[in-house]
Amino acid sequence: MNILLALIPVSLALLLLAILAFLWAVKRGQFDDLDTPPLDILGDDERPAPAPEKRDPD
Amino acid sequence: MNAAVDATCFHCGDALPAHPPTVAIDGAPRPMCCPGCGAAAQWIRDAGLGDYYRLRSDADGARVAADAGDFLSWDRADIQSGHVVSTPQGNEITVVVEGMHCAACAWLIDRALLREPGVLDVGANAVTGRVRLGWDPARTPLSPLLVRLAALGYRPHLAQGEAAERERRRERNRMIARLGVAALGATQAMMFAEALYLDTAREMSVPTRDFFRWITFLVSTPVVFFSGWPFIAGMVNELRHRRPAMDTLVASSVLLAYFASLVETLRGGLHVWFDAAVMFVLFLLAARFLEQMARRQASARLDTLARAQPALAWRITAAGREQVPVVALAVADVVEVGAGAVVPADGELLDAPASFDESLLTGESEPVSRQPGDALYAGSLCRESVARLRVQRTGSDTRLSQLTRAVEKAQAQRPRVARLADAVATRFVTALFVAAVLVFIAWWQVQPERAFEVALAVLVVSCPCALSLAVPAALATAHGTLARMGVLALGADALESLAKADTVLLDKTGTLTLGRPQLVDAHAIDGGDVTPWLDVATALEQGAGHPIAAAFARTGLRSAERVRAFPGEGVAGEVDGRAWRLGRAGFAMQGPDDGALWLGDGTRGVARFTVADTVRPDAAQAVAALRALGLAPRILSGDGADAVAAVAAAVGVAQFQARQTPEDKLAAVRSMQAQGHRVLMLGDGINDAPVLAGADVSMAMADGAPLAHRSADLVLTGASLMRVPQAVALARRSQRIIRQNLGWALAYNLVALPFAAMGWVTPGLAALGMAASSLVVTGNALRLGRIEGHTA
Repeated sequence: MNILLALIPVSLALLLLAILAFLWAVKRGQFDDLDTPPLDILGDDERPAPAPEKRDPD
Repeated sequence: MNAAVDATCFHCGDALPAHPPTVAIDGAPRPMCCPGCGAAAQWIRDAGLGDYYRLRSDADGARVAADAGDFLSWDRADIQSGHVVSTPQGNEITVVVEGMHCAACAWLIDRALLREPGVLDVGANAVTGRVRLGWDPARTPLSPLLVRLAALGYRPHLAQGEAAERERRRERNRMIARLGVAALGATQAMMFAEALYLDTAREMSVPTRDFFRWITFLVSTPVVFFSGWPFIAGMVNELRHRRPAMDTLVASSVLLAYFASLVETLRGGLHVWFDAAVMFVLFLLAARFLEQMARRQASARLDTLARAQPALAWRITAAGREQVPVVALAVADVVEVGAGAVVPADGELLDAPASFDESLLTGESEPVSRQPGDALYAGSLCRESVARLRVQRTGSDTRLSQLTRAVEKAQAQRPRVARLADAVATRFVTALFVAAVLVFIAWWQVQPERAFEVALAVLVVSCPCALSLAVPAALATAHGTLARMGVLALGADALESLAKADTVLLDKTGTLTLGRPQLVDAHAIDGGDVTPWLDVATALEQGAGHPIAAAFARTGLRSAERVRAFPGEGVAGEVDGRAWRLGRAGFAMQGPDDGALWLGDGTRGVARFTVADTVRPDAAQAVAALRALGLAPRILSGDGADAVAAVAAAVGVAQFQARQTPEDKLAAVRSMQAQGHRVLMLGDGINDAPVLAGADVSMAMADGAPLAHRSADLVLTGASLMRVPQAVALARRSQRIIRQNLGWALAYNLVALPFAAMGWVTPGLAALGMAASSLVVTGNALRLGRIEGHTA
């Protein structure tokens, strides 16, 4: 059962990592609009992409 | 004309006029309600964005005004200051748009604007109804981009209340963060708890068991105190006001399970319930999140739409005419109002008589004529001729602002519904703790060493999980269903008050009727084809920019020249070289006035048109359905008695009152409330806003005034009135299900309590009962997901 002593801290560290990553994503506005982005990939853009600037640098 | 395949406009889902224009989309001719929608649909097709019609979830786009409007004033520096931000690439502005209902709209706006030259960046957000627009001022001014937006039916407004919006977004993000932490933490806590559950034979060594318990404790703590904080804060708040309700119930059961487990961990007891505590936080948080987001999304879109056009007025000074922002107007300034423009401030009419459309303030659909010296009100529309007025009251002193204040006052005085669930919760929590204490005392007398354990079992087994899930689960499902039906619920109490309503008050113009003139009849005097005369009339009306031009919903083939409007009489002009007159019989052909619109050459009439504000096609059906639900319908209108009587007869309502000012309407509501009635008010205009706010529960129409939206509990997003009885039926069903849920949860607790008090309940049994009763309650609530009587 000694393996638990290693595995449980590892799983806790992963949990912490997941929570931090999630909070980071929330802060960056990844969850602001959950409906529009999925539609963006459905149609083809006939018009060449707009000037190669980053869309919304922050 | 092709035979109409659909009964409604393909683009916006509105009712069709008698002779709808059509646009071919996907190889089939689609009927359009007006030239505006037709033009928008044509543009969308030609731009290769036809996918929009496949992507959108409901059939209702935004109705497109025939004339997109003039946005030139948005290019002025004094208007842009404070709204436009300069970025290294160009300028950026955030506008709020009307009519963006779903993700497909946002998709369309993104695509459409990116095609315009000079546009750098577009971010349309369907949740907040906002569009962030970046453009290069060196390549394009702002106004053509806004015209494109408006031409698609998304009329832009200046975004107001940015601070409130940012706060709302922060709060939503905080809620998402809490939810995420709860989900991640709860799954981990359950994993560790699983190890404890699987040790059925109790072979685990005590140190290992305690190690697992402490790890579970560690993982659950942030879930209970960070994710569960809204409940704990709510409980503190409720207890401070000595009114324990839902939050007290939720927080006490979570804290109970948590601290009971902690105590058991410390004393090495038989069982811990950390997993129950965290799972519970997760479920309740998710239910609350769904319900709140449905409501917030609705209100975020509505309350920013305060018609924030950059308002400009023409001020007459000694030096001539100058255009100034409306806020710069002062008392005693002289202002010129163009035909078709909105009066910017309350004042006194100068020079010549003129007619004004005051429907915004009074609900009266006929224009009223004013003599020099008469009072004019801000917000009314100047018809036909240019007028000058001397400003008497501006800004917050105007009649319009008084109405706005009346709304706030009425809202503050609204009777509150005593909430069933809160009342149950209060008594339950008190009874539970009293019972636990009594059990503890009783066991202390008999068997002191088991007293604590049994008291704990009583608390855990009757932990009101199911009870506190009963209401949120039902509310979350019901709000979701309402939104799918096309009814946005804004107030938290909306569903409950809606279920209790027994009287429905209906406004006439814009609510029971379409609120805009429609051509109901056209025939040629010689009995021949009326189409050529219709073309002439259309050309004249559109040339004059007359308010009833919209009734002639045909794309104009010819154009009229030398068009002159005669106030109160009609329009004169030349089409194809011939002089025509369109208007009252006396004006067009020197005949006796019969209320109809005549086309003639001044002496002889050739065609007769009947233009009227028509009743919504499903109004009578909706009124009948409301009556079947036991609601007594009644019409309150600001319009004249004859017009109201005609509509009342058409929809089948016996009781009606005409010529009602907003104050009269509010007084009528108050007297009905005094008689013990619960009043549902259905309206659309600014004149209805105080009543909407004062009624027990209120609904506003989608195309109504923003002030009406803000004072209503529910807003209909589509044109169909049938959604009103559907929403009432759903509200009643949700109340019934909440009652069933509460009954079931209470019954479970009442049965379990005596067994626990006798010391017969094992920890495993307690956990099983808790989970089963919660599942039953949630499953019952999900039944609200169905839309009854919906034919789509």
